[in-house]
Amino acid sequence: MDAIEKELDRLTGKANLSKSIKDIDACLELLMAARSTIETDPSSAASTLSSLEGQLKTGFDKTNDSLKEVYGGLNKYGKALDKKFKPVNMSDYDVLSSHQPLIDRAIAMHFLREGNFDIADTFISEAKLSESVPPSLETEFRDMYRIREALRMRNLAPAIEWAASKREQLEARGSNLEFELHRLQYVVLLFGGEEGGAIKALEYSRREFVPFQQKYLGEISQLAGALLWQQKMASSPYAELLNSESSWEAVIDSFTSEFCSLLRLSAESPLYVATTAGAIALPTLLKMTSIMKEKKTEWTSQNELPVEIPLPDKYKFHSIFVCPVSKEQTTDSNPPMMIPCGHVLAKDSLNKLSRSGNRFKCPYCPADSLPKDAREIYL
Amino acid sequence: MMATKTSATLNPETHLLLDQPLLRLPHEVLRKIFKTSQKYVEQDAKRITDLAKDAASKSDSPEASLATLNTMITRIQGLKRKMETLHEDEKAVHLQSRKRTTHLNDLYSLSSLLEDGYGRWSKVRLDRLLVDYMLRNGYSESAKKLAQEKDIEGLVDVDVFLQCWSIEESLRKKSTVECLAWCQDNKNALKKIKSTLEFELRLQQYIELVRARKLSDAVSYARKHLSGNFDTHKDDFHRASCMLAFPPERPGPYKDLYAESRWDHLVKTFVATHHNLYNIPQGPLLHVALSAGLSALKTPSCHSALQSRSNTASTVTSLCPICSMELNNLAIHVPYGHHTTSWVEHDLVVLPNGRVYGTKRLEDLASKLGLEAGRIKDPITGEEWDSIEVRKVFIS
Repeated sequence: MDAIEKELDRLTGKANLSKSIKDIDACLELLMAARSTIETDPSSAASTLSSLEGQLKTGFDKTNDSLKEVYGGLNKYGKALDKKFKPVNMSDYDVLSSHQPLIDRAIAMHFLREGNFDIADTFISEAKLSESVPPSLETEFRDMYRIREALRMRNLAPAIEWAASKREQLEARGSNLEFELHRLQYVVLLFGGEEGGAIKALEYSRREFVPFQQKYLGEISQLAGALLWQQKMASSPYAELLNSESSWEAVIDSFTSEFCSLLRLSAESPLYVATTAGAIALPTLLKMTSIMKEKKTEWTSQNELPVEIPLPDKYKFHSIFVCPVSKEQTTDSNPPMMIPCGHVLAKDSLNKLSRSGNRFKCPYCPADSLPKDAREIYL
Repeated sequence: MMATKTSATLNPETHLLLDQPLLRLPHEVLRKIFKTSQKYVEQDAKRITDLAKDAASKSDSPEASLATLNTMITRIQGLKRKMETLHEDEKAVHLQSRKRTTHLNDLYSLSSLLEDGYGRWSKVRLDRLLVDYMLRNGYSESAKKLAQEKDIEGLVDVDVFLQCWSIEESLRKKSTVECLAWCQDNKNALKKIKSTLEFELRLQQYIELVRARKLSDAVSYARKHLSGNFDTHKDDFHRASCMLAFPPERPGPYKDLYAESRWDHLVKTFVATHHNLYNIPQGPLLHVALSAGLSALKTPSCHSALQSRSNTASTVTSLCPICSMELNNLAIHVPYGHHTTSWVEHDLVVLPNGRVYGTKRLEDLASKLGLEAGRIKDPITGEEWDSIEVRKVFIS
């Protein structure tokens, strides 16, 4: 990048039109001077004009020289760009050009979930998506942002109300968001510095903790103990929960994640995650393509990329099982099978090992077993 | 751990594949500004020096000389104004390029893909790619709004694409005027790449005259605009002359010349030529990024027929982006990622229903749900068992 910046400096500094404009200005001065000379002394017209011709020519030559400098600067800048950015043919990677409606829909949903409702509206009407994007989605996400905004202002009521209305679904997911919100509310009341905080907190816990008593008994008795700490807020273990920005951020994040999950949507925009993963994957993919072109080979499997893309762990969302024998990923048609010793193989590998249902030895331990004793597992 | 480390390393040198047009396009704009300035200077300088020469060679009256001088002064003032306007444009492009190098340089200050800074940078990149995608598809209002709201107007090329789109639209409405004007504007550049765009536009114009049976107009149009290209387009020329004898109702062998689809072809040719001149990719880079990203993320589980397989690993609580409604249908069209090693939770156990989970995940869920001691619950199906019913699974 330094080389590019250096050349850009040259363009903004010297190699631009300002110099040639000065040169043109000088020519203009010449003409003005000639005019005033002739005006004051009409008899000098002939001599003035004859010297003017040469002066103008010099002036315009200079202008052209200045322009040449711009040209040179632009060329050097272009070369710096060429050096930095190797020309790549990316059209090989565009398998999506025939799926514009699906991309449009994904974009509209991206704006909705990011809370850019204005842009989303404009886009939905421009791309004529009102049929493919459910209008309820905007309502849902507006609700989500309303609740998030309230949380940001440290108002828990809307979030608690939402969580209560979704209690069954949240519990089925094993989420304890509702209780966490109540707990935070209790702490806010207790340590929030309001008059009679302890009483309010006590009343709150009596009113709200009832449905959770069985499940979170330990937690609740701890919270009751916190009443004793009320005077010594600063040294209380709840001080952090109440005051730290990050604990509120965490609540907002976990609310967002639960909210999206209930809509069967991922918490972070898939469009964002996918384009980011794509940018990470591209160097590897391009390198592979150029190698394959050199060797004139084709992918062996159209269903699978020919090369492993090193993605950070946070981009891994599913368990992946690669059969230790065949080195293939398992699929619906070739699922993972567990043999009685607890080791796992792909179904195809198992069939090959056992040859028509005969007893075979596990490739990983001394145990042998019959293929009929292997069972499909779901990873 | 080593693997994790390397896969999170950010290498800015190779990471900027999607970002070339960011600097390429303004460079082409600068070149265009320069070419225009060169043309202005050439024309006006010639005119003015000619006038000077003329005036010097004949001895006019002082009044006449002054009049000539005034003409020259007006002319050069005009040149100066035009140059100043170009210089303003030039400065704007310089400023824009500076913003872009700064944006690209920001990436060089990062070293890990896990840094918050990278997330922010990548968000801006997505917005850039979206604006580019919208402009190429004519969603101009959305593009402008997005650029403005995200404050990335310096990083996107709204004007260039708007011009391109308006010419596309005019071609779709079967008007060649705008596109021909554009060709005129870029005459030298088009000549340099041996573009046939202008010829094809002229040919179309001629075909339309023939279609309307204005045959003598057609012939004179061809004489004026097509005959100059006879050497390079002999076949086209012959066929174009012969089609005069075949009216559109009985096109005979000239069906293709009468075809409406020629207009679509013109649109495509124009767009390809336009992007070529500005040194920008032919298709939206969003497609490229998405295709690569969908593949990298996609696993055989993402489109498994068995709903029960759409399991997410416990390390991530969120739904997989490929399984999410937004991209699921789109991802059908790409291959899935290649993996050489398994990626599973620790201490795997299998439940009586054949489903496999990490022990910790089951324990966490049981305690969150407040299950009785020794009971476990399948996080996906909700079935409950005694923990003695689970078996260890070994995945190597």
